[in-house]
Amino acid sequence: MRDRKLFRLHPGLVCVAALALVTPSALPQSQPKTTEWPSYAADLAGTRYRPLDQISALNFNDLEIAWRIKTDNFGDRPEYKLEGTPLMVNGVLYATAGSRRAVIALDPGTGELLWIHGEHEGKRGGAAPRQLSGRGLAYWSDGKEERILYVTPGYRLICLNAKNGQPVSGFGTGGFVDLKLNDDQDIFPDLTTGEIGIQSAPVVASNTVMVGAAFREGMTPRSMRNNKGYVRGFDVRTGKRLWIFHTIPKKGEFGYDTWEKGSAEYTGNTGVWTQITVDEQLGLVYLPVESPTSDFYGGHRPGNNLFGESLVCVDLKTGKRKWHFQLVHHPLWDMDISSAPILADIMVDGKPVKAVAQPSKQGFLYVFDRITGKPVWPIPEKPVEVGNVPGEWYSATQPIPSKPPAYSRNGVSVDDLIDFTPALHDRAKEIAAKYHLGPVFTPPTASKLDGPLGTLSIGTASGGTNWPGGSYDPETHIAYLYACNSCVEPIGLVPAPKEVSDIAYIAGTAGHEVSILRGPGENAGADSPKPPKKRAGSEYVPMNVDGLPLMKPPYGTISAINLDTGEIIWQIAHGETPDVVRNYPALKGMNIPRTGQETYNIGTLITKTLVIAGEGHVTTTADHPRGAMLRAYDKKTGKEVGAVFMPAPQTGSPMTYMHNGKQYIVVAVSGGPYSGEYIAYTLPSESE
Amino acid sequence: MTAFRIGSVATLGCVLFALCVVSAQEPTPSSSRSVWDGVYTEEQSKRGEAVYQKECASCHGASLGGGESAPPLTGGAFLSNWNGLTLGDLFDRIRKTMPQNGPGRLTRQQDADVLAFMLSTNKFPAGKTEIYRQSEMLKEIRFESEKPADKK
Repeated sequence: MRDRKLFRLHPGLVCVAALALVTPSALPQSQPKTTEWPSYAADLAGTRYRPLDQISALNFNDLEIAWRIKTDNFGDRPEYKLEGTPLMVNGVLYATAGSRRAVIALDPGTGELLWIHGEHEGKRGGAAPRQLSGRGLAYWSDGKEERILYVTPGYRLICLNAKNGQPVSGFGTGGFVDLKLNDDQDIFPDLTTGEIGIQSAPVVASNTVMVGAAFREGMTPRSMRNNKGYVRGFDVRTGKRLWIFHTIPKKGEFGYDTWEKGSAEYTGNTGVWTQITVDEQLGLVYLPVESPTSDFYGGHRPGNNLFGESLVCVDLKTGKRKWHFQLVHHPLWDMDISSAPILADIMVDGKPVKAVAQPSKQGFLYVFDRITGKPVWPIPEKPVEVGNVPGEWYSATQPIPSKPPAYSRNGVSVDDLIDFTPALHDRAKEIAAKYHLGPVFTPPTASKLDGPLGTLSIGTASGGTNWPGGSYDPETHIAYLYACNSCVEPIGLVPAPKEVSDIAYIAGTAGHEVSILRGPGENAGADSPKPPKKRAGSEYVPMNVDGLPLMKPPYGTISAINLDTGEIIWQIAHGETPDVVRNYPALKGMNIPRTGQETYNIGTLITKTLVIAGEGHVTTTADHPRGAMLRAYDKKTGKEVGAVFMPAPQTGSPMTYMHNGKQYIVVAVSGGPYSGEYIAYTLPSESE
Repeated sequence: MTAFRIGSVATLGCVLFALCVVSAQEPTPSSSRSVWDGVYTEEQSKRGEAVYQKECASCHGASLGGGESAPPLTGGAFLSNWNGLTLGDLFDRIRKTMPQNGPGRLTRQQDADVLAFMLSTNKFPAGKTEIYRQSEMLKEIRFESEKPADKK
């Protein structure tokens, strides 16, 4: 099955690594230099912050491309969805890249390829639920040895020698651990096709490497039964399993009784597919858990369903639960906790608090004392609408933070609809009238031809802050959060034909043949749905008006939130006004402030003085040809201070580092006609 | 709108880029056609819809609105992604990379039919002749998201 390929391209790398060993930079994992980027989110606290200031408001516009690397050849086909954030440690840049999720090591000053490692996983890779290049990798060193760890699409944890890309023979079996084994469950139906994988980066702390799990898209599962997404810790030296946390409790464990009618036995998913955060000093790990099977219908899993959509704190050494807080009881909205929890040492009412702040799709920033799990500001249970989908089980209340206020839309009302002109507003109302509207936690409806077709939701599957997560400045105690403020999601439920799924209801629209939704690369050949048989009156309803977003601007925002006070101190629209808005004939001549863009894939980088984020859409303006801008804002005010051209939208969050006295910013771009590419920006040399 | 200044280096890059684009498009006498000139037929779009629902909808959504892991094929982001390029560029993207688990599995005819369905869904007008099945020919048809003044 395995055909491991290794190419050592740069014999001089050994020299590079040897030099690195004698420099002061070879420090333990817990003391990384702030001029490097040793972990996916810069550090284990999930801050995406480096206190660098060579690139500033004064010179951001002068940035130029230092190097670039296309990822087309790191796999047997190009990739158009490059989501990685590289690492930079000890003078080497590491990244995942290409449709094979290869690992590449580059010279951080020139982009020269030093080595590459790829795993040929055959059918197992081809059947994986989460394919393509993934989001990154982990670095570990004890001051002597350096290792790179990542998870393949086929769900194997690989440990490489950072010096040359060779698998570390003493780790697992020949350098890898089969994550489909030793998981306190039998992955079904078999190890090759069994649905489980992950695209995020592993995390290493105190010699423990931690890995979660992800599954295929969960709106239209084929069954209420699925593999479970447990979290495990492994010894980074040997690959030996140290602990496991059951995200769905086993019989006798705390929380099992929140799964009525024995549903904990067969329900699956409930993984941790996004980044894990760690406080090494406290020895605590923060696990952001996703939804159980299935995303929008929970009639087969009555009860609150712990630890679905819960933030769980476990012990770093044992994996034992310390505390948890369920953000959504009995999940029905695909409000997976989608990004890294952020550790923040703050001052609230004059008292120091070691806090953890959790951004969310639903636009709430949940803030807890990270030692006790107690909310820093009250999060009271509030009554919410109870729906009437047959067989569904509803929680009558949900926890809603009293502070900070929601930083992005999480409910839809007529007042939120596009209103550039009365005519556009009327057309949007016609679309919205086909749906059930309401505030956050308005439940999905059964889809009916005579209405409603479903619930028109926002801040659910693709809203608010998604996998790229937020940033946090530990000096000023301010968090910076990108959010999609216009990503509406119509959620309708239709009875699932028995040949499609054994679940009573799955996502769909009345009048349309039920089809299974898939993520990219899934086996579309085997179970392809039949061609649709539409019934009269069942036309597809677009979620736009002549291509214009259904919602009012701002479409995408960056918010700065003071975590000492729980207040939003500024909020801006991020991204150029889309072409379709700027060029719309009826809007010509209107003074429309910058709208931002309708996308949820944007991650922020913060430096000493700047918030840096690229755009998620291509635009063509008088100031630049078709492309997207990497923008910089003043951290204090949100005022834009510079922008530099990118040939395609940002699809992976930017990172920064210092190398040979120069600051670099690296960002992944791709999409539409443009295949994946990492681009490194730096300032011109002084002599230029 | 917030104004911004692109640095001198970037400006030079933009100029060079623009020159390259112009250069790459020459000669352009036959490039007078665009997606607003009726480059597919309604019947072809219907065939394309059936292919789309079978081969594409599971990722891109039944109404082309996108999915968890695949972008929308309608709306502002899609239109601006391809604005200024050609139908040949879009056809090649489909032909060479889709469906993602088996690029090239569909025939040229099926790809062309899907492209016709995408144009129809995005409200580009149908015409009397079917869309070409060769990317070189499709590169003579400009993808313009904005309707030209003489078509209004």
